[in-house]
Amino acid sequence: MRGATSAKWVAGAVIVAMAATACSTSKEGDGKAKSGGNITVVLGEPQHGLIGQNTAESEGAEVLNALFTGLVDYDNKTNEPKLAVAESIETQDSKTWTIKLKDGYTFHNGEKVDAQSFVRAWNWGANQDNAAEGLPFFSKIEGSDELAPGKDKKPTATELKGLKVVDEKTFTVTLKAPFSQFKTMLGYNAFYPLPKAFEADPKKFGEAPIGNGPFQMDGAWEHNKQIKVKRFENYAGGKAKLDGVTFKIYDNLDTAYNDLRADTIQIVDKLPTSAMATVSQEFGERYIYKPESGVGYVGLPLSTNPEAFGKVEIRKAISMAIDREALTKTIFNGTRKPADDFINPIIPGYRKGALGEVGTYNPTKAKELWTQAGGVPGNKIELGYNADGGHKEWIEAVANQLKANLGVEVTAKPFAKFGDMLTDLGDKKYKGAFRMAWSMDYPAAENYLRPIFSKVAIDHGSNYGGYVNEEFEKLMDEADKTVDPAASLKLYQQADDIIIRDLPYIPVFTYMSSSAYSKSVKNVEIDAQGRMDLANVELN
Amino acid sequence: MTDTQTAGAPSTGTAASGPAGGKKDEKQERIASLWSDAWRDLRSNPIFLIGAFLVFCMLVLSAVPGWFTSGTPFAANACTLQNSLKPPTGENWFGFDVQGCDIYTRTIWAARNSVIVGVVTTTLVLTVGGALGLLAGWLGGIMDSILSRITEIFFAIPLLLGGMLIMSGREGNAWTVSAVLATLGWPQIFRIMRSSVLQHKNNDYVVAARALGASTVRITLRHILPNAIAPVIVVGAISLGVYIGAEAALSYLGIGVQPPEISWGLMISDAKDRFLQAPHVLLFPAAALSITVLAFIMVGDAVRDALDPKLR
Repeated sequence: MRGATSAKWVAGAVIVAMAATACSTSKEGDGKAKSGGNITVVLGEPQHGLIGQNTAESEGAEVLNALFTGLVDYDNKTNEPKLAVAESIETQDSKTWTIKLKDGYTFHNGEKVDAQSFVRAWNWGANQDNAAEGLPFFSKIEGSDELAPGKDKKPTATELKGLKVVDEKTFTVTLKAPFSQFKTMLGYNAFYPLPKAFEADPKKFGEAPIGNGPFQMDGAWEHNKQIKVKRFENYAGGKAKLDGVTFKIYDNLDTAYNDLRADTIQIVDKLPTSAMATVSQEFGERYIYKPESGVGYVGLPLSTNPEAFGKVEIRKAISMAIDREALTKTIFNGTRKPADDFINPIIPGYRKGALGEVGTYNPTKAKELWTQAGGVPGNKIELGYNADGGHKEWIEAVANQLKANLGVEVTAKPFAKFGDMLTDLGDKKYKGAFRMAWSMDYPAAENYLRPIFSKVAIDHGSNYGGYVNEEFEKLMDEADKTVDPAASLKLYQQADDIIIRDLPYIPVFTYMSSSAYSKSVKNVEIDAQGRMDLANVELN
Repeated sequence: MTDTQTAGAPSTGTAASGPAGGKKDEKQERIASLWSDAWRDLRSNPIFLIGAFLVFCMLVLSAVPGWFTSGTPFAANACTLQNSLKPPTGENWFGFDVQGCDIYTRTIWAARNSVIVGVVTTTLVLTVGGALGLLAGWLGGIMDSILSRITEIFFAIPLLLGGMLIMSGREGNAWTVSAVLATLGWPQIFRIMRSSVLQHKNNDYVVAARALGASTVRITLRHILPNAIAPVIVVGAISLGVYIGAEAALSYLGIGVQPPEISWGLMISDAKDRFLQAPHVLLFPAAALSITVLAFIMVGDAVRDALDPKLR
């Protein structure tokens, strides 16, 4: 997901006074009965129709989270997967998984949530003809290559070979290779079920989806204005306490923040940067500041420019020459925290201070390592970034620090778009260091390692540095096969240690999310995906 | 500005053309030279004096910025994040920007790019526009028609819009920006020069010079040019300020001078996002830019008043 939506929000926040959002002055639900009531919360216009399989950005996911319930859900605090619609998810070899469903879950139209409703959804998402954003999530399932053979080729099947319906409440999933983290993946919205009604007209379905979650649609999606949902009375999980929620669509977070202060809306889960200086004072306990899944790196093109970045001492020197503490405090106003592991702090398996010495600012040692290794050819480094995402300031700060601490000439090189930089990296046209970021697809340590540093990710993934290490591959494969969660996590951590030793990328900071809610609501929690846990919210 | 004609000034321009009279004569009888009159006028014009003083400061500043600051913004340790956005103090008069760089040092050093762009562009525009205008006005006929049509094509392109179009995808520095601005700016000077020459070329002294057998080159350079150049100089001085502003605008949009070079436009662009948090970061380079542009316009204005006999 690489944080595309946050970039969009940043851009939106810059264009102050452009938004002519009509502010509704009625405080819905204010002063009504204690149970029930309605609230309004912030949203950005979702990118696609509201179909779980076709949503890979935060705004659509926010609404889908209220409308759907997946097989598993994540604990708001520990981020461990817990069963939701699934009664049990079992495997002997991490390759074949048997999934049993709970009784009682129905779609909002009364249709039962059965095994077929999951198989239907996944087959649709895995088929490249549907061009669903979530397609890569199905690539681990056996038969996915037949449904997604690649560009200019036609799918040769319409159903995933690896999915078998055993009975109404049971189905099995066979993966191409053992993958111990499969259960963790299943909470992601690409794995949500779909009812029969979806098949008639997916496009229309996306405007007013019929889900199986605690809330159901209250009228269709009013584009660029709002999406209204109301409580689903027959929900088999914990029934929602509110009568209804209006997702009001803003294109400017500053406006949303002002509306929150006026209690016109009750929850804003993405505060604008301009609010950061005063929000904790103003909202006190109603201000939620917690880590988010993103990690920001300085990437190094190991395979295309080994002359400069091939030596590990050089990479360590660069890492130790960056003052992460000062960077996150000044440039980011505390909306980032210094990174101290390749695995994000919210993920099970994160170890505090895992980076150790290389993650600690030490200009003297950095200069020493740098000189010992002989520096880089020409004593010049380029530092690429995309100019559309608000990265200029921190990249220039890093450039200044490297200049001052290593005595190297550093040029910050802007690319118009993130895609332009990735294309130049892929074509091996760009040989400088580059900014990179990763935000999780599902809360597993594996998700911070394999998609970025494995050999296969050079062509099918995000290994833009071209790092390859057989030892790492072996450990990852072994961890994928290991059924016992604790043992498998240990292996992932060993793989993480290899990455820390080799330092193919330099982790600089992790993201923090900041949200606030008004006086009229309570029990507001933000989950690790940055979504509001709306089912538990109550009016004061 | 086309009313700045110098009709009837019958001198060849050099001030010391009077007979050997000495200082006493000078006091009793003013030497009737356009330029000496203008100079006399300017010396007592406070607007000119202030403007000229500022322009002089700017020129010294950009030639030897080291006289005014102890450091340079290009030093390896010029910026320290710990100083980020600190307000002005007695030691650091302008405070620090978001990267922790001293704004005073940067503002002083940024003057160089602005002055380079202003001076180089104006020189180019005066040379190219002036020479072609002289040619078109003097030769007339088909040559004049061709040159005038070409000018009109260039004249139709707005300065900033054209500048953005040409600069995008080109490496930006003071020299390329000057070249682009000059490419778009010369038609104005061409037109003024041409009309000025047309006005002068049938005057008596020109006819007299021709009757005496002076060559075309001599007549053009010795008689026409010195008389026709006054309005060109006025426009040149005023547009120098405009070009400095245009450079800042292009840099602000990210297509002018590029980092690590510094320019006031770049500094303003970098500071705009945090204006509410730290206004001083934006205000100082903006003030420097305004003062410089104002100084050149003041000088240009004063020179125009001095050279225009109708206003005297």
